Amino acid sequence: MSAPVLSVEHLTIDYEVGAGTFHALADVSLEIETGHVVGIVGETGCGKSTLAQAIPRLLPEPPAKYRSGKILFQGTDLVTFPRWKFPTIRGTGIGMIFQEPLNSLNPAFRIYDQLAEAVRIRQHREAGRTLVRPDGEAPYDYSRPPEGPGAGAVLSKVLVPPTAQDAAMHRAARARPDLKEEVLEYLRLVRINDPETILGLYPHELSGGMRQRIMIAMALSEKPSLLIADEPTSALDVTIQAQVLTLMKELIDEVHASILFISHDLGVIAETADEIGVMYAGHLVEFGPVADVYAHPSHPYTKALLRAAPRRYKADGPLDSIPGSVPNLSRPPPGCPFHPRCPLAEPRCRDEPGPPLDPAPGRLPGHRSACYFAAEVASLP
Amino acid sequence: MSSEPAPPEAPPAAPTGRGLRAARTGLVTAAASIVLFWRILRANVLSLVGFLLVALICITAAIVLVAPHLIVPYGPTQITNETKNWQPPSWQHPFGTDGNSYDIYSNVMLALPLDLGIGIFIAGVSLLGGGALGLVAGYWDRPGTVGGATSVVILRITDIFLAFPSLILALAISVSLGKGVWQTVLAVLITWWPYYVRLVRGEVLALKHLPYISAARAAGVKDGRILLRHVVRNILEPVIVYFTLDIGTVLVTFSTIGFVAHAIPYPGPTPEWGSMISYYQSNGLITAYPWTVLAPGAAIFVTVLAFSLLGDGLRDVLDPRSRRVLASSGRGSGSVETPAAELPSAMPPEPADGGPEAPSPTPGAEEAS
Repeated sequence: MSAPVLSVEHLTIDYEVGAGTFHALADVSLEIETGHVVGIVGETGCGKSTLAQAIPRLLPEPPAKYRSGKILFQGTDLVTFPRWKFPTIRGTGIGMIFQEPLNSLNPAFRIYDQLAEAVRIRQHREAGRTLVRPDGEAPYDYSRPPEGPGAGAVLSKVLVPPTAQDAAMHRAARARPDLKEEVLEYLRLVRINDPETILGLYPHELSGGMRQRIMIAMALSEKPSLLIADEPTSALDVTIQAQVLTLMKELIDEVHASILFISHDLGVIAETADEIGVMYAGHLVEFGPVADVYAHPSHPYTKALLRAAPRRYKADGPLDSIPGSVPNLSRPPPGCPFHPRCPLAEPRCRDEPGPPLDPAPGRLPGHRSACYFAAEVASLP
Repeated sequence: MSSEPAPPEAPPAAPTGRGLRAARTGLVTAAASIVLFWRILRANVLSLVGFLLVALICITAAIVLVAPHLIVPYGPTQITNETKNWQPPSWQHPFGTDGNSYDIYSNVMLALPLDLGIGIFIAGVSLLGGGALGLVAGYWDRPGTVGGATSVVILRITDIFLAFPSLILALAISVSLGKGVWQTVLAVLITWWPYYVRLVRGEVLALKHLPYISAARAAGVKDGRILLRHVVRNILEPVIVYFTLDIGTVLVTFSTIGFVAHAIPYPGPTPEWGSMISYYQSNGLITAYPWTVLAPGAAIFVTVLAFSLLGDGLRDVLDPRSRRVLASSGRGSGSVETPAAELPSAMPPEPADGGPEAPSPTPGAEEAS
């Protein structure tokens, strides 16, 4: 097993705003193995998007504050990484797909210009023309043989390590080559028909689903070692969600990238992810292989979340819900954050500090849960 | 000042096939841009009038500069007819003459390049200087960093200048610097740049938290490049519109200083509209010889109006969202012979996505902001 591409260790982030301090992330630890897809689920306001933006250091940092912990990306700690070098991590290191496809493309530029910028950034870094990470390990290798013909061929084709071809690439990059062919390849990769026409259009002339595909194409064209997808489908309507999800799933199979997939939709995570992390009130309460977590949840919150998910058509009464509401993050409850709503709660849950994320008893090795009574969760209805 | 969106000029064709092809593509692109520009202007009569007026004014100013004898019959202080002064407008003297028998028309025309140049120069320098400061102050405003400190310094200095009524301050500076064109230009310039700092900073602040700026940052684009490429391009539209309207305002302010402070000596070798009005009205002869004041006044009015109309029209040209709609719907606007069936074909080409999603038929309709 290779080293994890990303390892978040005890990350704690607060938002300091006028109204007080909001504890957005509390002691979050997770690892993403190379080539794995990790899904993160949770309610609104539980810190999913904060986590997604904290990793590439995209959080606006007067309100956000990194209290403690590490974000080890290929061995580099991004928390202590100097700010002026952030651009060298982003894009080719950690790519990002945002929630709002409607506003994530610059309205003043044609599609070609936007994609070409991404391709150009990658080429410049490959050619060593612009700054690369000084302690840079080799970028993630996409050239693992893809199963069958597919877009994996596109992604594995270029990626030249900065060696003898530097000079040629350097010249090519400086001459502002016509990147049309490469841009077209990425548009085809995300299943856009008639890409030649799309190249000349402005973002407002495309539908939301098309724009999200272009965002995906942009992120992939930089060949990131880690791709963070922050609810890539939640701003789209249902049919287009399905299309984009199908595309993401196909791309995950073809590209073999490491992906952090944020969603509030349990079904989406079940279909795409290898591992799942469940977040509640800034805490990661359960983490483990998707099938094991879904079949044998070891945290009462996960159990309740799964029970509340709508299944097929339900005719007999209302959907199950979790009693109570998410705690105010400026005044989190003492001890385990879930204890006010938890059916298993005992005085210990309130009086002792929150339980650590420990291996769940009797489950698969990677399956961890932050509950003192993990073994008893199975007995819940 | 040509307001063309600068169609890329075709480079001189190299003898290779590639060069020829590039040249031809360049020409085609340039022609297409001109056609597009024309269609957008035609869609709005007022902006078309503004554009034509500005073009006319600029061409006239150029002729006065390069070959004055073509349209300016007399020199600024050339006595036209010693026996008959205060002549009313006639074919020989379109705007009449004054008490010295100086030709008013010639003086108005000779003042055109100066007034126009001053308007563009002061607004342009303010745009570049104040705009650059505004970009910096708006983009790097994180407290506790070097950028944040710079931003605070820039804004407080700007506030100091904005605290004074600009016209009074300009007048005071102008009086203390003495008479002359450059002294007056400097006086106006000192009071003019802070508005651009505020304008540009406000636009940058509104823009820099938009998702596409975050997306550019997430893609690994560096701050300087985000600022110069993504931010500047998107604030260009309101800033250029403001700049165009501002040329007229500068002209009025400059003329006001000329009027109140007699900043530019008149009659003299360099006539200026504000000074002309000031000179003629101060003789108290405005009721007896109204043309002396009306001619330079009308010149100011027409020039300011032209730039105002052009500014409104530019708003449409610079916005890619309205651009294509106007270009396609502008055809025969107001005439009944446009068949309704033709309109769909003027829409942007269908991306033929294959899915149930279709491109929005009205661009901009789905702007979920």
